[in-house]
Amino acid sequence: MGRYISRQLASIIPTILLSIVINFMLLHAAPGDPARVLAGKDNPSEEQIAAIRAELGLDRSLPVQFFSYVRELLQGNMGQSLSFKQPVFDLIMSRMPATLLLTVTSAILALAIGTLLGVAAAQRAGTVKDAALSFGNYALFAMPGFWLGLILMVIFSSKLGWLPTAGMRTVRADYTGWRDVLDVMQHMILPVATLTLVQVPIYFRITRASVIQERQQDYMTTFRATGMPPTHTFRRYALRNALLPTITVFGLGFGFVFTGAALVEIVFAWPGIGRLTLDAVFRRDYPLLLGVYLILAIAVSIAVMLTDIVYALLDPRIRLR
Amino acid sequence: MSESLLELRNVSIRYRTGRGHVSAVEDVSLQVPTGASIGLVGESGSGKSTLALALMRLLPQNAEVTGEMIFAGENLVTKTESQLSKGWRWRKLAMVFQKSLAAMSPVHRIGQQMEDVLTIHEPHLTKPEREQRLHDVLTSVRLPNRVLRAYPFELSGGMMQRSMIALGLLCNPPFLIFDEATTALDVITQTQILKEIERLKAEYNLTTIVISHDVGVINAVTDTVAVLYAGQLMEVAPRETFFSNPQHPYSQALISSVPRLRGEKTRLAGIPGSLPDLTNPPQGCRFAPRCPHATEGCLAVTPPLVEVAPGHLVRCTDIPLREVVA
Repeated sequence: MGRYISRQLASIIPTILLSIVINFMLLHAAPGDPARVLAGKDNPSEEQIAAIRAELGLDRSLPVQFFSYVRELLQGNMGQSLSFKQPVFDLIMSRMPATLLLTVTSAILALAIGTLLGVAAAQRAGTVKDAALSFGNYALFAMPGFWLGLILMVIFSSKLGWLPTAGMRTVRADYTGWRDVLDVMQHMILPVATLTLVQVPIYFRITRASVIQERQQDYMTTFRATGMPPTHTFRRYALRNALLPTITVFGLGFGFVFTGAALVEIVFAWPGIGRLTLDAVFRRDYPLLLGVYLILAIAVSIAVMLTDIVYALLDPRIRLR
Repeated sequence: MSESLLELRNVSIRYRTGRGHVSAVEDVSLQVPTGASIGLVGESGSGKSTLALALMRLLPQNAEVTGEMIFAGENLVTKTESQLSKGWRWRKLAMVFQKSLAAMSPVHRIGQQMEDVLTIHEPHLTKPEREQRLHDVLTSVRLPNRVLRAYPFELSGGMMQRSMIALGLLCNPPFLIFDEATTALDVITQTQILKEIERLKAEYNLTTIVISHDVGVINAVTDTVAVLYAGQLMEVAPRETFFSNPQHPYSQALISSVPRLRGEKTRLAGIPGSLPDLTNPPQGCRFAPRCPHATEGCLAVTPPLVEVAPGHLVRCTDIPLREVVA
């Protein structure tokens, strides 16, 4: 197991290095010029723009820029945000908790709800209830997150007025302690519900299919023949085998959660990485964008690695081979 | 004959399908005396495994069983699922399945799974007693104790098959079904397992049904042979009689379709054609379309199963007329 984990750890490094190269290339291939954005809208002269460019080092050749970027990274310096005039790392870290609050909460909720519904549907496979559950999940699956978020906002905030429309805290309330926690939780409900609802169908479908398949395995016949009660066989053997694919999806899905969260954050004006990324894109804030991409690449790599380790713990065929 | 441990009386099994009924087993009557070992032989699709699963009452929902299966005086067909689980399955009838590698959960240790089964049937046993029992059955099939700590994928086919036999013996049942138990194994391992089965039958006082498409396997471990074709019994005979003097043309074909290693070189005879469509079984003898001796009469009337000698039954219209081929 120790060897397995160290192998997984070692495989992360090239992944992250590769993502650094790709991120850098993509960003510079994209249209737009940060110098022009920074110079402002009041018809700046070409000299002014050139001066900004020189100041930021954007006048150097691409390979030179890249290596100086990597050199700084290796020294633990992610650079300075062009638009916020703050260190990129500090900016990202100040926004990270808000994003993690949404993504982790919704991922866990979706895993729990989707899996439970999937098991319930599989046990009723072919019945009306199963069909209704499947239909509902397909419908959810077809809805884009930001659209669903808007609909929920219209219903629960605008029409019913039950929940706050946007933001993470009530502006100017300055709550502290438990009152603050409650306030944040209230603001969390809609964005978390949106993100959870778009993820539930993924777990629902994989669990349903996997449970149905597992129930047809030969070992299920063996256990039935031995006189083992079906509920016992199901809980102890079928479920354990059926949930393995779900775990893989959980790890892979984490990357998509970040993407989905970005859009939902924008809809709900949630002060997380998503908002920050959007701002960075509009302002052509290259160092900030590179920083966001790098941190996301690392976060997703670690999530996938942790998933692989959990999978190996649960499946001896991976662990012992 | 001593008293029958198991008696099948007019057992028929039909599967309801979208294309109509499939008659998988038809009117099978068979006596299995205590201590006997019946070999059930036939090609794929002949109904062998359906019959075995019916005995364990493991058939899918769309199967209908009629007739009686009397085991130790009680009819298995009318038992409820909860009655079967308490005191019947694994206590009185156990089974060794084909495809043993898939027959246990891949992510649980073998010992864990065996202990789980034992706990369900004998909850009063203490942990050391359970361990002792596991050790005993493993010793019986000549496996080391370390198998208990292993996962199914870590064992060879032969070891896994031995583990499945050990699982079958776990609750000391009087009756054990081997369903193609050696089919997936190489010939050397197969021979070893067959020897173990022979030994275990005596050691555990087992009454057995051995299902195989391989007459060689049947010859090695049974004392009576029952030939199933398209769901019908075609011939039932003591083993020596069956191999020296088979009466049914299908039995003769089965025996001569096996290559011989010793003696004169003969042409290897296959059986042309294939099993009839069981959603719409043909009139008359089900083997007639493939039978070299078939006459028009064979296609018209289903021949009855006739006792031609004590313990020797044959379903064929022209037994007395045809010259017996050894």
